[in-house]
Amino acid sequence: MQIDPITFAVIKSGLDAIADDMAYTVIRIARSEIVKDVMDFSAAICATDGQMVAQAKTIAQHLGAVPEAMAAVLAKFGTDLNEGDAVIMNDPYHGGMHLPDIFMFMPLFEAGRRRAFAVVICHHTDVGGRVPGSNASDSTEIYQEGLRIPPLKLYDRGRLNETLATMIKINVRVPERVWGDLSAQYAAAQVGKRGLNKLLQRYGADEVEAYMAELIDYAERSTRAEIKDWTKGRYEFIDHIDGDGFTDRPIPIKVAVEVRADGSLLVDYTGSSPQVKGALNSTLSFTRSLTYLSVRCVLSREIPNNVGVFRCIEVKVPEASVLNPVLPGPCAARALTGYRVFDTVLGALAQIVPERVPAAGEGGNSVVCISGLRENRKPFIIVDMICGAWGGRPDKDGLEAVTNASQNLSNMPVEVMEAEHPVRVEEYAFVPDSCGAGRWRGGVGLRRSYRILAREALLQLRTDRVAFRPYGLAGGGPGGRSQNFIEIGNRREPLPSKVTMTVPQAALIVHEQAGGGGFGPPLGRDPHRVEEDLADGKISADFARRHYRVVFDENGKVDAEGTARLRQQAAPR
Amino acid sequence: MRVAVDIGGTFTDIVVLSPDGVLHESKIATTPDDPSRAVVAGLEALLRELALAPQLVAEVRHGTTVGSNTILQRTGARTGLITTRGFRDVLEIGRIRMPDMFDLSWDKPKPLVARRYRLEVGERIAADGSVIEPLNEREVVAAGERLAAAGIEAVAVCLLNSYRNPLHERAIENILRAHFPQLLVTASYAVLPERKEYERTSTTVVNAYLLVAMRGYLRNLEAGLRAIGIQAPIRVITSNGGMLAAPSACDTPVFVVASGPAGGVIGAARLGQARGWSDLIVFDMGGTTAKAVIVEAGRPSMTSEYEFRDGISSSSRFVKAGGYMLKVPAIDIAEVGAGGGSLAGIDRGGLLTVGPQSAGAVPGPACYGLGNDRPTVTDANLVLGFINPQALAGGRLPIEKSLSAGAVAAHVAEPLGLSLVEAAHGIRAVANAAMVRAVRAVTVERGRDPRDLTLVAFGGNGGIHATDLARDLGIGRVVVPPLAGVFSAVGMLAADLEQVGLRTVTRCLDDLHTADLAAAKLDLADGVAARLAADGFGKDRLAFRWEADLRHEGQASELTIHYDGDDPAEMRRHFIAEYEKTYGYRDDSPIELVKLRVIGRGLSEQRLDFKRLTIAAPAAAAAARRHVHFQRGRAATLTEIVPRRALARRPRGGPLIVEEFDATIVVPPDATAHLDTIGNIVLELD
Repeated sequence: MQIDPITFAVIKSGLDAIADDMAYTVIRIARSEIVKDVMDFSAAICATDGQMVAQAKTIAQHLGAVPEAMAAVLAKFGTDLNEGDAVIMNDPYHGGMHLPDIFMFMPLFEAGRRRAFAVVICHHTDVGGRVPGSNASDSTEIYQEGLRIPPLKLYDRGRLNETLATMIKINVRVPERVWGDLSAQYAAAQVGKRGLNKLLQRYGADEVEAYMAELIDYAERSTRAEIKDWTKGRYEFIDHIDGDGFTDRPIPIKVAVEVRADGSLLVDYTGSSPQVKGALNSTLSFTRSLTYLSVRCVLSREIPNNVGVFRCIEVKVPEASVLNPVLPGPCAARALTGYRVFDTVLGALAQIVPERVPAAGEGGNSVVCISGLRENRKPFIIVDMICGAWGGRPDKDGLEAVTNASQNLSNMPVEVMEAEHPVRVEEYAFVPDSCGAGRWRGGVGLRRSYRILAREALLQLRTDRVAFRPYGLAGGGPGGRSQNFIEIGNRREPLPSKVTMTVPQAALIVHEQAGGGGFGPPLGRDPHRVEEDLADGKISADFARRHYRVVFDENGKVDAEGTARLRQQAAPR
Repeated sequence: MRVAVDIGGTFTDIVVLSPDGVLHESKIATTPDDPSRAVVAGLEALLRELALAPQLVAEVRHGTTVGSNTILQRTGARTGLITTRGFRDVLEIGRIRMPDMFDLSWDKPKPLVARRYRLEVGERIAADGSVIEPLNEREVVAAGERLAAAGIEAVAVCLLNSYRNPLHERAIENILRAHFPQLLVTASYAVLPERKEYERTSTTVVNAYLLVAMRGYLRNLEAGLRAIGIQAPIRVITSNGGMLAAPSACDTPVFVVASGPAGGVIGAARLGQARGWSDLIVFDMGGTTAKAVIVEAGRPSMTSEYEFRDGISSSSRFVKAGGYMLKVPAIDIAEVGAGGGSLAGIDRGGLLTVGPQSAGAVPGPACYGLGNDRPTVTDANLVLGFINPQALAGGRLPIEKSLSAGAVAAHVAEPLGLSLVEAAHGIRAVANAAMVRAVRAVTVERGRDPRDLTLVAFGGNGGIHATDLARDLGIGRVVVPPLAGVFSAVGMLAADLEQVGLRTVTRCLDDLHTADLAAAKLDLADGVAARLAADGFGKDRLAFRWEADLRHEGQASELTIHYDGDDPAEMRRHFIAEYEKTYGYRDDSPIELVKLRVIGRGLSEQRLDFKRLTIAAPAAAAAARRHVHFQRGRAATLTEIVPRRALARRPRGGPLIVEEFDATIVVPPDATAHLDTIGNIVLELD
């Protein structure tokens, strides 16, 4: 078939637009803040053989896991997929990631043949298990983490599977939210199906299939062409997670990226930590997903994100490791491990394409989960995710108050949280001096504090970067560390990075995120940029003196002489 | 008699619908230092020419780019922000997301208020509207002192949960006005009393940022018009194609940020209705930018919030970030910095670039001879023969072709080692590519095939580039409406005056009775009718359209249905049907009525009707021919130059150039042109 460039462009963007429409539908009708406000969900379109061809601009981390999940669905149902079916699953040991992320797949048929799948993944507020939110980092077996769903049909030829629906509703703490969000997934998949049908009618089903295949090949060709320009060799990097919440023993993530002559990469995680006791274990599908997207971040933006890119990246992970656990390894808090995979792979890529890689960012969003009972004894669960700061970049400062680049999260508006839940947020602001110093500084982190209004509440923290701060690059300093506090009455006490504990009414929980690492030597920073940072209160005069050797007059202007003198003293070091 | 005025970056267009129903047009160079000057001078001259008394003007309708230009050029007021303690960073934090994934080089836009001018005061309102901590008035005064001392001109006030209780925001307004009369103050409850602190803060800050420029501008305009004897009310076109009285626009400029292009879009949609074309791409190319909008089923694509940003400015329904959030209703427009006045040059990498810098009206393209010696798109078109070599704007603006040739030669042809004509073709090609991007943003990138649509092109340069764009995108039909050069102004006359009545109900449908609904509707209708009466529309000239926003409990957004009645059970049935149609399943959970809305329209006695358009006959132009370089690598073609009325119903083949008072329409050799019943030029491409 002849590829017509305009048709190709329209179908390519058309698929993206359908995926975006699906995502938009989820936002409109979902019930949980984690979905409708924080946007922890994603939407994609797969070809009939399950190959992912298009995605919405949502959580990138989910999408690399679609091939594995799709494979599990096809293995289970094979040819037993029909018009009107909707298959769901969440089990990490059946191609899933962690239990709160429920996948939904809806096949699309045309002229009796299966042509494509609409795929929607949502992070659910709760899927049962020992703690509200089903997200604890201190579980020790997957059986504690909630309801495991292997690939099963929630809808069979358009008929609801009442057995499965009842099982789900009875096993979760907030059934109306979970069911509302599952309905949002179902509605979004229908919207996707309708959009795809239109596309098939306009251009012909066989043609669209051919263009989908071309889209994947095009991504692979472009990716290989780009990798071929990289210097061949093996590049290693190591980064750490502070600990799994049971011990403070650091969890190393080690990678070696090999650039091969055929334009492919071998990404080898040999030497990473064995499987851990707590819930930080990342399934193989999730490890792959993070690997793909880390590489994707340094490729040209024009390359579409589909399995064509993935084909160029071989991932090697030892079994029973923190990046490829075996049953009954818990994995609810695996996102944190994923973020560290991202940091680690970028650390290796910085040696290959230094002009494209920033210093380490905040290390991934923190999860602050607060749950309990309302006055009327009805349960509430807040799953709040705090983002984010980027590290300094080769040619500019790191961004601050921004999603981690490995996903595309939003934040929960304070006014929404307060209207829906018994908490009051007392501060949502930058943390001065939390940036890594550098010629280009890292972004400063964020602080968010929560006053507990319920009689008591269960607090779960999943945070990190307390012991291992975000790394700097090219001589830049590390980002500021993350911190947690609890204030009861007038007493303020630090909290560990990972904790599950009961807190009393009127307690104030304070979480501070790490800042981004710096890029380039701090003394290379233009003193006037230091002056601007001071004027905006992003850094203190003390920070400026210590890291940049810049001093100011009483009006906050750079004292050129004093600065020169101080820098003179610093020069020999 | 009604007047419409459209101020562009380069030209100010004026259209007068005279008492006998004839349209007259005029075009004058924009006066950027005080845009009202050109309006007043141009209107006075046109009225004098037509021998019409200024007192006869019943209404002045106005589209202005003052809002958008102020943000684009960062020339707004020095703005401060006062927030609840702990929340001064809400403005800068935003919604965290990035517009594109995997882009590590992305730049988040700098906030319009620097952190040092964002001050906090002690106070707290709870989510239910109760006061938890009273306002610390001393801190408000201290904040005012700091801001005033720093030379701040406008202050936005946005406190947490103020959408439930504006008590403290009102108090801050009063304190600041009493102590610091020099500060312009705008509080969020008055601009956008809705939940979600970032969206409300950002919208309020943009409003504050625009206050000085908009007030100064409208005050000058009003004074100027009064000075020439026009007492009529001024109505500013809003971003969604409606209208706002000038005093309202002075207080809430955020609603008229995208005022400029809205008139043309409304006009094009009405034109399409008159001809029975329901799906259009509207393409407006002026001197500074080009804009594209899609019209589907007769209605322009709209958005309830958009982000104003540099480069290609296009709203997306769900990707937040990348610009300044304005939560106001607007037409969904993609805009690129490519127009007739866009400057061409060679960048450091040796690449030919066009725009976004523009030569504007002054000094204008090189051919004006007013001091700019760098080539613009207009200069390239002149070199190629597309544009009249003697004068523009109906002969009012003499130009010099040799200056264009010199500029193109010196800045593009010689550095690149090209011939003059090749260099001019290059400039055109680069400008076309940028404009194609705007059209793609609203079609291809949303999965709509441009080949299924008709391209309606206007603006002084729209007809010069439209067929090239159409060819690139595979579009078969291009329509250039009458008065194409001033069509945005013409379109304003086709707009209706609308007043919207809105009631937030947020009650479970089960708890509502027919009597509740009937009472709420009566109340809303009375309010809207009273406002329309103040605008001069009696009860017999009103049309109402009722809408209800409903959702299932716990959802973030509503589905809008049209329902005229007042029976909650009937309303439920409508909603359930619409929900199932939209989302493909039925939901049994409780339904909430969130908002009730009425859109009241004042039916003008003299609304422009495209089916009966009378246009003042232009002076007869002498028949002419000139050499035109249609295509790179081909020799110039001796081409006939004709006025619009030389075309007929029967298609005539190109090459041909139609020259009008203020617009040029290029009919390339592989296209045909004919005139339709309305007076549109319809171009069909092979």
